[in-house]
Amino acid sequence: MIGILKGMATTMKHALKGEKFTVQYPEETPEVSARFRGVHKFSQERCIWCRQCENVCPNDTIHIVTDDQRQGEEYNLHIGQCIYCRLCEEVCPVDAILLTQNFEFTGDTKDELVYNKEQLKNVPWYKDIDPLESREPDRGAWIGEGDGEVDYQ
Amino acid sequence: MATQTLPEFIADVTGLGTYGVGGEIVAAIIGAGIVGTIMLTYTGIAGPWAKRKITAAFTDRYAVNRMGPFGLLTIPADAVRLLSKELIIPENVDRPAFDIAPLIVAGSALLGFAVIPMGSLFGINLQIADPEAGLAFVFAVASIATLGLTMAGYASANKFSFMGALRAIAQNIAYEIPLVLTAASVVLFAGSLQMSEIVAAQTLGGGTEPLLAVAGLEIPPWFAFVNPFAFVLFMIANLAEVGRNPFDIPEAPTEIVAGYQTEYSSVYFVLIYLGEFLHIFLGGAIAATVFLGGPAGPILPGFVWFTIKIWGVFLFTQWARSAVPRVRIDQLISIGWKGMLVLSFVNLILTAVLVGVIV
Amino acid sequence: MSLEKSRDDALDAAGDVDPQAILDLLGDRVLDTEEHLNADIAVVVRPDAVEETLLALRDEAGFDHCSLVTAQEYEDRYESIYHLKQYDDPTNEVSVVVPAAKDDPVSESGNAAYRTCDWHEREAYDLVGIEYENHPDLRRILMPETWQGHPLSMDYDQDRPQVVTLGEHDNPLKDDHRDEDSDTMFLNIGPHHPATHGVLHAKTVLDGETVADVDPDIGYLHRCEEQMAQNGTYRHQIMPYPDRWDYGSAGLLNEYAYARAAEDLADIEVPEYAQVIRTMGAELCRIAAHMLAVGTFALDVYGDFTAIFQYAFRDREVVQNILEDLTGQRMMFNYFRLGGVAWDLPEPREDFFELTRDFLDGLPGKLEEYHDLITSNEIFQLRCVGTGVVEPEVAKSYGATGPVARASGVDYDVRRDDPYGYYDELDWDVVTEDGKDNYARVLCRLQEVEESAKIIEQCVDLLEEWPEEERTIQSNVPRTLKPENDTETYRAVEGAKGELGIYMRADGTDKPGRFKIRSPCYSNLQMLPEMAQGEYIPDLIASLGSLDIILGEVDR
Repeated sequence: MIGILKGMATTMKHALKGEKFTVQYPEETPEVSARFRGVHKFSQERCIWCRQCENVCPNDTIHIVTDDQRQGEEYNLHIGQCIYCRLCEEVCPVDAILLTQNFEFTGDTKDELVYNKEQLKNVPWYKDIDPLESREPDRGAWIGEGDGEVDYQ
Repeated sequence: MATQTLPEFIADVTGLGTYGVGGEIVAAIIGAGIVGTIMLTYTGIAGPWAKRKITAAFTDRYAVNRMGPFGLLTIPADAVRLLSKELIIPENVDRPAFDIAPLIVAGSALLGFAVIPMGSLFGINLQIADPEAGLAFVFAVASIATLGLTMAGYASANKFSFMGALRAIAQNIAYEIPLVLTAASVVLFAGSLQMSEIVAAQTLGGGTEPLLAVAGLEIPPWFAFVNPFAFVLFMIANLAEVGRNPFDIPEAPTEIVAGYQTEYSSVYFVLIYLGEFLHIFLGGAIAATVFLGGPAGPILPGFVWFTIKIWGVFLFTQWARSAVPRVRIDQLISIGWKGMLVLSFVNLILTAVLVGVIV
Repeated sequence: MSLEKSRDDALDAAGDVDPQAILDLLGDRVLDTEEHLNADIAVVVRPDAVEETLLALRDEAGFDHCSLVTAQEYEDRYESIYHLKQYDDPTNEVSVVVPAAKDDPVSESGNAAYRTCDWHEREAYDLVGIEYENHPDLRRILMPETWQGHPLSMDYDQDRPQVVTLGEHDNPLKDDHRDEDSDTMFLNIGPHHPATHGVLHAKTVLDGETVADVDPDIGYLHRCEEQMAQNGTYRHQIMPYPDRWDYGSAGLLNEYAYARAAEDLADIEVPEYAQVIRTMGAELCRIAAHMLAVGTFALDVYGDFTAIFQYAFRDREVVQNILEDLTGQRMMFNYFRLGGVAWDLPEPREDFFELTRDFLDGLPGKLEEYHDLITSNEIFQLRCVGTGVVEPEVAKSYGATGPVARASGVDYDVRRDDPYGYYDELDWDVVTEDGKDNYARVLCRLQEVEESAKIIEQCVDLLEEWPEEERTIQSNVPRTLKPENDTETYRAVEGAKGELGIYMRADGTDKPGRFKIRSPCYSNLQMLPEMAQGEYIPDLIASLGSLDIILGEVDR
């Protein structure tokens, strides 16, 4: 009986202490880390249409259409199908595609979740956090022997 | 010391008493309606709201807090939701039994409230009837629920329900006897099976002496203090009878899906669900009457104390649910027949000796 | 013991495998030898001599652990590979390669030697198409009974319609399981069930409340992980997938398995700093996975979302917060890369260390709470002590690993016996219990959480003092990685549930030729009939919970 009573005493202690672990979303927005992988943001200014992101994507989520001059026409990313692995951001040589911390996106149908390059450009930052700023010290890490100085113009 | 029962009061106030037996019957029905409404209100608060709030307190969470003040609007919202669901009746079920079973489960609990002395509120004594064998009546009626569970499980044409029904029978039979014996053992002190007599034997003033008078604080002779061993046994047997942890084998959700409730949806499910809570409150009411002095208590009206006591028992069942695991069916049966039965017989004999020889 | 004496014949003075002794032992059953990166020797034997070979290796050379049975198809033949190890020293490995003819792939079953082979060969039959003689029950395991074709074989037609007539399709809802003579009742537990840890279908035959027989039917969560890995490049595309095998928060442990196997295949070095980070991340995942396991086990025994489940999840959330800061995601991390990790600890480093140390400081109090609620509870002990008993010999024969085996006294832990990462430089113990029952497994998991906490603490101390200029997180690995043609390896790590191993064969391209996953839950689940027969249904549910299966890993 003692064991049972000890167990019951433990739960009663929790009840009387009254600390709550729940985050009352949406009144309180949770603190996410700077590295959190949310919806992508695409920069048409930087993209050089090298198709590295399309090649590396594990489940063919990115579709790029270029004309015969290798100039980009369409950049489609299905954010419903994406597994948010961040490989596209990792291989992009010019930081044209980033994963923001924004996880608050919705769509009524699955087709609404296919974002073209206009929509990807307009994805808002979550709580105005620019992920590049948080990742800058790490940017150079995976370039191997590089010194890690990335110059944003 | 029988005070006026509720139907008599209604008959006097409304003038129905002049119509003879028919008027008394109508008054009784009105009285039953009032008590039934009060009890169903409690159940309605307990089921969708209080149970979740209490569980959340034990588990460091917020519970229902979105709809209305303190989330109380969840209750009508839940009611609408449950009642608006589709009533699915599988093909092979045994029709009359399938339909009647939920009514039996809920009805037997409500019927038991007929003889519980609930104290007085604004001068009105809320007890519908006060027969001389009140305690026996309550136990008899409460155990009709077992029949309801069995009907539900057997009629559902579902192997999981069937197993739940068999387990329910075994459990209820095993724990019925210790329940009745422990209650009866303290009734020896009161000397009568009439519910109001039992309460009177525990109330201070008018002939009964306090158990202890400590620094001006008089502890009333509640049978829980007189024989705490019997009280503990009764609470454990009560948990088994209502089917709550650690004895919730008949509806063990992680083993047999939902036991006897598996095939029920919409209205039938509401009846069974509320019936379960009604049984918890009925068990609490019996415990309060027999062991905790019924509606006795200082300052506040009797009915308020009664409410506090039955909600206290409800809280205890929720507390046990949060922390105590479920016993296996064979262990449950062996605890019932070998452990509880022996202990309750010992308790009965000792009490009989005490009352007969010493007092 | 004669086993000891004969084992010495196969081992040379250093306790390693002596290839010549093995060849002498097997004599003329050996057709050829091959080079595998992991095995001390890989012998090719005739398909009709499999049973004798395996029995000889088990009894006379002491290889009592059959890790995996791989099946694959080449242009000119089929092949089954039996990877044999020793529980006492898993660095001693022998691979038995069994070729089978292309037009009629038949080979002998190894079930008489190792019970592991039962389900592994069923899967080989199901997915690749090799038939095994003398197998007690050769039917499909992952695919439905009526599937046509073998998905991983080369001539499989994906577009072929799989419509089968009603007569051939076995309808489990039909009541033709009624046997007039017996008193038993057939019950389908799952796949829709509140307690089956995923979509597991257990076909149970009940005698009253006693379980007469249980037959687990898996495959409801088969997502062709092996084939998807075979369609992805080594360097980048495969790495997100291992997170999704054991999805119960053990993502980094799965990634570790893939990283270890691929780095072995392509001969890549991992810098020491990255190894420390990997070790720390893996142990954090182990704590999270064990919290989940204990929480859901309490759910099974206590019924329905009671306090322990909620507390376990609350504690797991804290671990997930730490991992979110480190890797960027709370569950599917994709953090390891071949040659290291994706990025260094988050800046500022002190905040991360403080967060981790706060968690580690709070952990003993929380474990104390679990002991109050679970292990010292008499009813819990009534339910779990003495139920789901697995004898150590049975566990070894089924290839059980992880907390399930360690709770039966089998002292086997890949982190200590076949070291990788930074484990051999840290101070920690392997937890074994002698109880052999469900209670021992829960105790084992709770104590392993403490051990993991020790490891994390040491890693954090190391990382804090690591000199700044030596913090290399990834070695140089080319973008397109093409390991040499025809290299094969099998490497295992200690996943949350046991030995998680990957067999990979490179065919000269940038995608694997064969990618076979050795799932610990798969081998552990095979033991369920042994554990549950003769006991009651609640014990069956409790045993299933204590095995701690994650269907994502079982079905892949």
